Amino acid sequence: MSGTEILFLIFAAATCGGALAVVFSQNVARMAFWLIVSLGSTSGLFFLLRADFVGATQLLIYVGGTVVLLIFGVMLTNSSPYLRIRASSGELVLACGVGLLLMSVIYSTVFVVDWSKMSPRSAEQVGQGYNPSGEGNTARPIGMKLLGLSLEDLGTHRKELSSGYLLPFEIVSVHLLVVLIGAAYLARTKRRIDSATRVGASGSART
Amino acid sequence: MNAELYESTSQTLKLLLAFAWLAPLAGFAIEIFGGYWSTRRSKAAAYLAVLCIFLGFCASVTAFGVWGSRTGWAALKHEEHTAHAVAQPPGPAEVETGEHAGGDHAGSLPARTYFSGSFYTLARFGNLIVSLDYYIDSLTLVMFMMVTLIATCIHIFAIGYMSDELSDDYVDHQVHTHDGGHLHRPGRYYRFFAYMSLFCFSMLGLVLAGNIFQVFIFWELVGICSYFLIGFYVERRSASTAANKAFIMNRVGDFGFLIGLMVLWTWFGTFQFSTHLVDGVERPGLFEMVRGPNGELTVDSRENIVRLHDPTGQHSSIPYILLVVAGLGVFGGCVGKSAQFPLQTWLPDAMEGPTPVSALVHSATMVAAGVYLAGRFFPMFTPEVLLIIAYVGCVTLFLAATIAVVATDIKRVLAYSTISQLGYMMLGIGVGGWGAGLFHLITHAFFKSLMFLASGSVIVGCHHEQDMSRMGGLWRKMPVTALTMLAGVIAISGLAIPVLGTTFAFSGYHSKDAIVASALAFRQANPVHFLLFFVPLLTAGITAFYMFRLWFFTFAGQPRDAHIHEHAQESPSVMTGPLIVLSVFAIFVAFGGQEGPLYRLLIHSEPAGLAAGVAGGPSGIVLPAHEAIHTVHEDAGGLALIAAFSGLLLAFLIYGLRVVDPADIARQLSGLHSFLVEKWQFDHLYEVMFVRPVLVVSRWFAAFDRVVIDGFLHALTFATIDLSQLDRRFDEGVIDGMVNAVGDAIFAVGRSLRVIQTGNLRQYIMFIAIGVVALFMLLMMFFPQ
Amino acid sequence: MDSLPLSWYLLVAGVLFVCGVICMATKRNGIGVLMGVELVLNGANINFVAFSRYTRLGIDGQVISLFVIVLAAAEAAVALAIVLNFYNNHLTIDVDKGDELQG
Repeated sequence: MSGTEILFLIFAAATCGGALAVVFSQNVARMAFWLIVSLGSTSGLFFLLRADFVGATQLLIYVGGTVVLLIFGVMLTNSSPYLRIRASSGELVLACGVGLLLMSVIYSTVFVVDWSKMSPRSAEQVGQGYNPSGEGNTARPIGMKLLGLSLEDLGTHRKELSSGYLLPFEIVSVHLLVVLIGAAYLARTKRRIDSATRVGASGSART
Repeated sequence: MNAELYESTSQTLKLLLAFAWLAPLAGFAIEIFGGYWSTRRSKAAAYLAVLCIFLGFCASVTAFGVWGSRTGWAALKHEEHTAHAVAQPPGPAEVETGEHAGGDHAGSLPARTYFSGSFYTLARFGNLIVSLDYYIDSLTLVMFMMVTLIATCIHIFAIGYMSDELSDDYVDHQVHTHDGGHLHRPGRYYRFFAYMSLFCFSMLGLVLAGNIFQVFIFWELVGICSYFLIGFYVERRSASTAANKAFIMNRVGDFGFLIGLMVLWTWFGTFQFSTHLVDGVERPGLFEMVRGPNGELTVDSRENIVRLHDPTGQHSSIPYILLVVAGLGVFGGCVGKSAQFPLQTWLPDAMEGPTPVSALVHSATMVAAGVYLAGRFFPMFTPEVLLIIAYVGCVTLFLAATIAVVATDIKRVLAYSTISQLGYMMLGIGVGGWGAGLFHLITHAFFKSLMFLASGSVIVGCHHEQDMSRMGGLWRKMPVTALTMLAGVIAISGLAIPVLGTTFAFSGYHSKDAIVASALAFRQANPVHFLLFFVPLLTAGITAFYMFRLWFFTFAGQPRDAHIHEHAQESPSVMTGPLIVLSVFAIFVAFGGQEGPLYRLLIHSEPAGLAAGVAGGPSGIVLPAHEAIHTVHEDAGGLALIAAFSGLLLAFLIYGLRVVDPADIARQLSGLHSFLVEKWQFDHLYEVMFVRPVLVVSRWFAAFDRVVIDGFLHALTFATIDLSQLDRRFDEGVIDGMVNAVGDAIFAVGRSLRVIQTGNLRQYIMFIAIGVVALFMLLMMFFPQ
Repeated sequence: MDSLPLSWYLLVAGVLFVCGVICMATKRNGIGVLMGVELVLNGANINFVAFSRYTRLGIDGQVISLFVIVLAAAEAAVALAIVLNFYNNHLTIDVDKGDELQG
């Protein structure tokens, strides 16, 4: 068993375990913690796949941004930290059954295909050799790809440029801006105090 | 007269007479439309009507003056010439040649005694030209003056007579409503005068007409005016029935007229009386085609055809029998319009109209139109047709006179006397006394309108009492009416009064004398037809009898009804004025008799050749010459005078001195009396012959309608209703059911699916997962690897 | 050392995906549902990156996974805002209370 395999198993186990822990833990704060574990391990898997830029982004944005955001949400909304909102165990069992079915479907497709022909591609194939050692492996190819230039094709005779991702990137950036403004607006709405909210409050108190 | 003068005279006469003709039409238009905006109390319509017709009279007199001066009063002088010439046997022939010589002197124009031309072409269908023409000769001018003068008098009279109508609430005492009261309605003063103006327009148009079709148009127009005026009191059942009767009986005659028109059009290709221009080509009229220059018919006895004188050669001949048919057809129209036997029954009933109407329409003008047309169309009549005309007139005059003897309604007596006198005119024309018949037409118009107006004055004075048997002794109350009426009675009776050593004759004497003389001459020429002389002679006596009977009944003796007598009063001057004017004319219009100006004027228009007499023809009938008539004139005049005086004497004895009680005579001769009272049973005869069969047939048709047609329609209706109900059930059951079922099904599915929509987020996620798995399963099942 | 088969990564991605679905289906807490979404997205991301390494998809897979990360962040922000609003209206973040759209 090579070191890579050991690393893979460790990260895979952490990912899957974190995910399962998220499912089965009842405390929101713990769920957030296990989510961090799971997502962090995922970034480890990305590194194993030599996608260092994506792995770094995963750590920075997901673990450092999104999950923090979620934890803020937990703190903002959880008026009573000991209140547990849990589904009935029957529902949990049913959901697990359906989940297993779904998993079996996914795994059947995975095992139906013979993946053994697929071997990891060489560094030259993915164009990683153009990177200076201090920049990591994939930052430059991704940047070039955004512009439509594929480093993988440099050695071949293919001369056509693909369309690139610059336009989607711009659209996404504008989209993000709009979304964030909208989110800020929604989150800032004043709390209404009327009969509907009181009914809701009493409902939550009963639970 | 040269061509230029002829043309300018023609234009002048045309304009003047057209003005006289159209002025009443303008009056009619203003009256009938203005009436809507005027009040019911306004007399404006009456004044306008009088103004229009008086202007017409002025224009007519002016036209007469123009005509006379342009022709140098040739008609009058010329006839003077004749009067001298009558002493010598070949007189009339000389006149003819003289006339022709004068014409030849003038130039290329043939001697024409008339002016003709066209106003306006209404329509043209191939060769058939329908146009408004004029045909002006002395007869036209005399008729124009007569009609406009009498109409003016009657219009003025009507201003007074119709003044009851000047009210917003006229009470018709002869109409009873269901609740026992009388009819109340707005007055129709303006409408009466509008109808009168329309009638004047139509009558003048008829006289002026230059073609037979135009005559027919105005013929129908006067008919409809007569219909309106008879039915003026339309709410009275008797009036509306009488209007219908008059109109329908006229239709019978007009049917003959139409047949005549068809024959004429087919064989002559024109309706024009005289020469006229078609596309710049001169074509002969009806008269020129039928008659030669001297008025002879060119009969081809082998083929029984009449050769026509058509220079263009388009119409060379007509079968003799068809010429007879055409003449009889047109005369049929005259029979209807002039109330001759056998269509005479409508005229007495027409007395339901207001009295001025009876005076103008049903005595003086419209009914005389038939005689006028017979005179105007004289050249188209073959001797056989003339004989029939004479016999029709003969039967009519006797029949009507006998009925008049027993009638007690003052207006009906006058109506029967009108019929009788029209019969005289027809007889005169039929026996060849063309001038005599028309002479009587003019004189009769004056004295009969006079008598009608006088009777109207009596009726107004007696508060709408028309029964003579309730009058009597009225001359003290209404002297003017009585005297003028007496003038009319003397005139119609044909009496002459010996004054200052000579006989002073009223107009009726001269004209009736002329007719009797013509009839006598005709009898001498055709001994077989002796009745045509004796019957008129006898009737002359009867006429005098019943007219004096009327006068004695009404004005002389003791009052029979004290109430009426007490309240009777003389009419206002607006009514007596026209009476006096008309009585003057009734006395003096025929001044001079056959040597007088009126007769000379009329005879100037006489169809060529008649003066010399007509002999021969297929049936061998001889029309007497003027000369022959003149020779028997003295005898005939004497006989007529004797007859008239005996009638007068008898009337005086019975009704004046009351030697015999008339009721006693009626009892003695009860059969005859009731026969006469029942008007010779003509109404019953027509009732049995025509009305009842028509009613029976109508009832059959009504029953057929009710049973078969209505039954069929009802069955159809019920079937449709049933079908619709069936369809409704089908609609409601099947169609609606289907639609409802679909709707219900969708609704039910929606309701059941609603349960799935729990609004629970987590459940939806479960559904998605299950859905994905299920889809995969299905994929695996149907597409296994 | 590069002998790891592709299917291993796919199996891990499957576990993450199914865990995310179960998380969404069972958590009544709105934040928990959001976490399930993050897990599902991560499972997909692992697949993208793995295929980018093993197939001719190449660097494109990584670019797409970057987009996914970005969109997940945006989605988290919006969803969090929604949750906050939901909490404002209902005084709870129990998604079972938000059943106003029930048919």
